[in-house]
Amino acid sequence: MKTSSELRLAPGTVVTGKWKRGRYRVERLLGEGANGRVYLVEHGRRLYAMKVGGDAVDLQSEINALRALAARRRRAEPFLLAVDDFVHADGAEHPFYIMRYVRGSALHDYLQREGADWFPLVGYNLLVKLAELHEAGFVFGDLKRENVLVGEYGRVELVDYGGATALGKGVRQFTELYDRGYWNAGSRTAEGSYDLFSFAVLCLHLFEGRRLLQLSQTLLPQNRSPAELIRLTDGHPLLKPFAGWLKQALRGEFTSAREAAAAWQRILYGGGVKTPPRKRSSNGWVAGLFACTMLALAATIVWLMAEGVLPAGLS
Amino acid sequence: MRQLLLITDGCSNVGISPVVAAAHAKAEGITVNVIGVVERGESISSAEVEIEEIARAGGGMSRIVNTRELSRTVQMMTRKTVVTTIQQAVNRELRQVFGAESVEALPPERRGEVVRVIDELGESSPLKVALLIDASASMRPKLAAVEEAIRDLVISLQSRSGRSEIAVFHFPDSEDGEGCVCDLDWTDNIAGVKRILTRLSMRGTTPTGPAMMQVIDFFRQGDYGRTIRGETDGMIGEDVV
Repeated sequence: MKTSSELRLAPGTVVTGKWKRGRYRVERLLGEGANGRVYLVEHGRRLYAMKVGGDAVDLQSEINALRALAARRRRAEPFLLAVDDFVHADGAEHPFYIMRYVRGSALHDYLQREGADWFPLVGYNLLVKLAELHEAGFVFGDLKRENVLVGEYGRVELVDYGGATALGKGVRQFTELYDRGYWNAGSRTAEGSYDLFSFAVLCLHLFEGRRLLQLSQTLLPQNRSPAELIRLTDGHPLLKPFAGWLKQALRGEFTSAREAAAAWQRILYGGGVKTPPRKRSSNGWVAGLFACTMLALAATIVWLMAEGVLPAGLS
Repeated sequence: MRQLLLITDGCSNVGISPVVAAAHAKAEGITVNVIGVVERGESISSAEVEIEEIARAGGGMSRIVNTRELSRTVQMMTRKTVVTTIQQAVNRELRQVFGAESVEALPPERRGEVVRVIDELGESSPLKVALLIDASASMRPKLAAVEEAIRDLVISLQSRSGRSEIAVFHFPDSEDGEGCVCDLDWTDNIAGVKRILTRLSMRGTTPTGPAMMQVIDFFRQGDYGRTIRGETDGMIGEDVV
């Protein structure tokens, strides 16, 4: 199973696209995914992330998933920016794509640095990301700590779409520890509940990592079960409020990630402060003010584009 | 699509060469993959050359892995071989339709559709995987890991949308030690099977080649009563067009 992904690009290497002639200067290696390596590159004085694939077909499957997601979120900032090939000095051709560079750190590093207080919010943001992907017709598949990047104020970005699989198909790539097939908890068919199961294991991995790994190493294959995982859910004080939620996810009881996100949110704010009912008049006033602000913002954007201040994006 | 997956840890020592047997398989449209399985610290360098050559003759791939990585490797190899098989068939079509040599030769914006077709066919084409297990003495401590890998493969195959079946064989047989035993006939469900590998022989032979020939014949028997489409590759034939 050797692939040409053995390729390593040294900092300073300039990669020129074969079809669109875009030039990208490699700054450094950002990480390694299942289908290839990701580099930080500079193009037109801005930074982007570039994924260089070992296999054109595998990489294209990933690109297809990203395209489907982009078509779904037209108003959002584009993630996938260019697709091309380049010819390496040794004559071999490599497919690559350019995506937005997300500044952030892996989930566990982020929580360690910024504090576990961020966990409930980051979890919620991640569930919303999964829901968006599912609604675009795909399951993420290979959800794990390393594939969740957290930026400022708990903003979440999924990275490495190598496992992204169209709904109803067999999940393309997964990591045993997070796989519901491995835990005898269901099939590997791409369904929303597959990602939610991985999400629940991810939570356990964050706070009960040692016990989780111990389970996977000591249990006989036929004894691995969701019940064993459920036992880990109410030990840690940070997980405890979510124990019921985790149980539902591990048993595959949520019908969609949207529903699961809503349930998660109810835990975040449930038992919150009781407020007296608001007066209608003040609501209308606030809404009016908000509409005015949006109009002003829209006008500003139109003006900026006309002046050419905003870049027209890459082609 | 038909695959033969050989799991072994040593060299054959009886009968026809497994490399020749693998070439036979390829001629029948069966891709042969080989996994050399080792325990921590064990070296099987003497068998590595043979393992690699069997896979090359059988048009498949080979890997030497630890027992812990076995499930993952079996699953990935099977999947990758499906994609490669479809890709080869699609490349033939590309040559005729676009004059392009392969998917890679197409401009990126035209690849998307072709790869969607490859993914779709890879998921929906019927698949048969025969697992041939070396159950000679040195393999005994590894058979638990092998059984786990087989069960894991079945989970993956059940998640495909196309019909997927496995059959399991081991060698040597207990009669003359020169062939293999069928543990499981073509099936898509092994939930009720407590132990897969039973009736293990005490003989010290490793008849890899003869066992492979028997498995190829088993594939052929399964073909009785249906016409083979696309004789050149015996795989997906007209489904691709």
